[in-house]
Amino acid sequence: MVKFLSEEWIEIGKNYIVDKLDPIKDLKSITTSLLGVVEHIPPDDITMNFYLELEDGKLKDLIVNTGDTFEEKKAAYEIRGNYGTYKSILMGEMSLGIAVLKNRLKVKGSKLQALKLIKPLDGVIVALKEITDEFLD
Amino acid sequence: MSLENILEKQNSKYEEAINIAKKGTHCGMCRFDFLGTGLCPSGKKYGFVAYWPQGRMQIFKNLMSGKVKPTKKLIEIVNSCSLCGICDKQCNFATYLRPEKVAKSLKDYTDNLNKNEFQDVPEDEILKGLREIVGEEWASNDPVIISSYIQTIIHPDSELNFYIVMPKSTEEISKIIKFANNHNLPFMPRSGGTLLACATPTVLSKAVCLDQGIIIDLLRLNKLEIDTKSYTATVGAGITAFELQKEAYKHKLRANLAEAGAHVCANIASTGITSTWQNRYGWAADNFTDVRIVDDNGDIKNSSDMDIKNPYTTEGGFTDITLSPPGIITEVTMKLHPIADDEDVVLVPFEHLKDALSMIMKLAQRNVGVSLIVLSRKYLSEFLCPTNQIAKDFEYICEKYLKLNYVVDVIGNKDDKKIVEEMADCIIDKSMIKTLILGAPKLATLKDSEFLKVLSEEKNPSKAIFAGPMRKHLEKGLEASPEQIAKVFDEDLQDFFTKVYSKPEMTDLIWLHSFRILPSRLMRQRLFFAQAGMIWAADQNKILKLIDMLSNVCDKYKLEHMLGFILPMDDGKYAFFEYDYYYNHNDPDAVKRVSQALLETTENCLVMGDILMVLNYLFKGLYRKEHVLYPIPKAISNDERALFRELIESILGEEFKW
Repeated sequence: MVKFLSEEWIEIGKNYIVDKLDPIKDLKSITTSLLGVVEHIPPDDITMNFYLELEDGKLKDLIVNTGDTFEEKKAAYEIRGNYGTYKSILMGEMSLGIAVLKNRLKVKGSKLQALKLIKPLDGVIVALKEITDEFLD
Repeated sequence: MSLENILEKQNSKYEEAINIAKKGTHCGMCRFDFLGTGLCPSGKKYGFVAYWPQGRMQIFKNLMSGKVKPTKKLIEIVNSCSLCGICDKQCNFATYLRPEKVAKSLKDYTDNLNKNEFQDVPEDEILKGLREIVGEEWASNDPVIISSYIQTIIHPDSELNFYIVMPKSTEEISKIIKFANNHNLPFMPRSGGTLLACATPTVLSKAVCLDQGIIIDLLRLNKLEIDTKSYTATVGAGITAFELQKEAYKHKLRANLAEAGAHVCANIASTGITSTWQNRYGWAADNFTDVRIVDDNGDIKNSSDMDIKNPYTTEGGFTDITLSPPGIITEVTMKLHPIADDEDVVLVPFEHLKDALSMIMKLAQRNVGVSLIVLSRKYLSEFLCPTNQIAKDFEYICEKYLKLNYVVDVIGNKDDKKIVEEMADCIIDKSMIKTLILGAPKLATLKDSEFLKVLSEEKNPSKAIFAGPMRKHLEKGLEASPEQIAKVFDEDLQDFFTKVYSKPEMTDLIWLHSFRILPSRLMRQRLFFAQAGMIWAADQNKILKLIDMLSNVCDKYKLEHMLGFILPMDDGKYAFFEYDYYYNHNDPDAVKRVSQALLETTENCLVMGDILMVLNYLFKGLYRKEHVLYPIPKAISNDERALFRELIESILGEEFKW
């Protein structure tokens, strides 16, 4: 059982992306960084974030932190939403695109540029979907 | 007996009621008093959609299809209906349906169930929390109540894992949103539900409906105050366009409003209020002086607050698509406009759209008229005629014999009228409009008559019949009277409809444009999808090309279709158009074809450029129109087209192709 945002989740996630995803085919050789802020995490209603960096479609960093900012690196994009929304995405109930268009995930920065990333990021989402099988209620 | 067998047996017993229920389209005309009948007592008391006629129809459909099982709440829903018949009168005017037959069948079905067949639905922690905010009776997790919201915010295939809550105030909504966020539950407001009813059968369904969580039904926010000094009205989110207009008219004022059943706040949030008064009164943020909004964090803001992000602007561009409003508008301060004493209305008939368009744009640029629109013969027929068949025959006569395919419809003062009369070959005046409304059934019977055949040989048949020597024969022949039109209704409703059509406002086109009770007839037993947008009007040929393109795509997908209307905006700088696809919402193949046409025409419009499609201005009615409309959208490149397709795939799923 791999719990969303746990240490184990980061490790398995990193390995999965490196081992199973093709930088060109699956990740479209993109270079970008993204800070995903996850609010209202049960049971104590805390906020956490994960920083994801890709360079030419290769994973450079996947880091999980507490709080709603990550001081060490500045991400090109920030998406923010509650735990339930991330859970729905990782359980395949909702696409990343729909979550953005329905304002369930709020984008900091240009929505146009962020939407352009949806297709390449789908590869990462698929990977995270594969490895995440435990959520908090 | 298996479930299938039970359902089959029930379906045969209740066949007529099931058919009525299936033809229900959630036009929402049963939720406000537009005919002076009073309101459905049950709906008024209990509020939830389940207690209104439209909800009973949806529940009956759900029970008969096995979508939902009876609960103890069903007994209360059934017993709350006194079979007073108000719904039959209201619904018959709008859709020619008899919902009371469904209510009777629902009662019969419920009465024949054993006591142990009604499920008990326990209160859970979420419901308990919601009830602490709004009070015991205004929150529910009952599947029967939830199922009444199917098609107007819930996708028909969804599990019924929702809560419905009916807050009374902005503060309660704020608490509900905070509660929802703390429990990681999605939420969405629901007002009239008509927009979602039109979108739900199509491919847009899952994109616009709520997938789970809390439905916030805004009906109880019913504040309505007119301030004659500032020419404004403060309007709560539960107030319909009809209700606001009724109050405004008492002070000889008018609000710029959408169709009668549209909730004012929701309509601002969704499409920014489109009306025939738009050239003069404006669009989007032109319509209000302030809005009160609860954002996604549950914080309450006013657009007039000094310390908030600019509330009137949006990013723009073809990928700027939003599928939900930027918060919940709970209250709006609407602008009101004085009504001139000498207002009059004229219709100018045209055979060709090109000529009608040329005239309406000239009028708009000269700022002639308060209300301006080009209506197609289809709209004219649907609005004026009391049944689908009469509308069909009326339209046939317009096209085949009268060469009347479009009308330029103008409301203005005496000076405006004079200008229109000077510009037009002939006009249809107020008196003739009244004759056409009351005489529509009789006119329909003249289909293929010698009289019309002779008339069609005239160079300008419309002129001959509306303004020439044949006018008096038409007036005599149509025997236009309230008694005459009432004959098309069921016998037990004829006295009622004689009285309805005896009211001056029912044949007064100015009143009908202000109160907009007739557009619901477009949802008469079947649905329509409005492909709409705004196009820059300097090149009128481009508008004509656009209409041709929309028509050709609909032909390709074998749809019943026609232009609905074109109306000028901002002194005719641009025009709002609506092109409609009509379809049987119970036919999956028709639904698929409508969806394909919707996507193909949207893409084609983006490729054409100079057009802002509904997909791009949806949920942007709060913004200043200049921020939504400018810069003028350029034709998209091939790369951008690929991106658009990716976006659509992301929204709708890759399996949907056009």
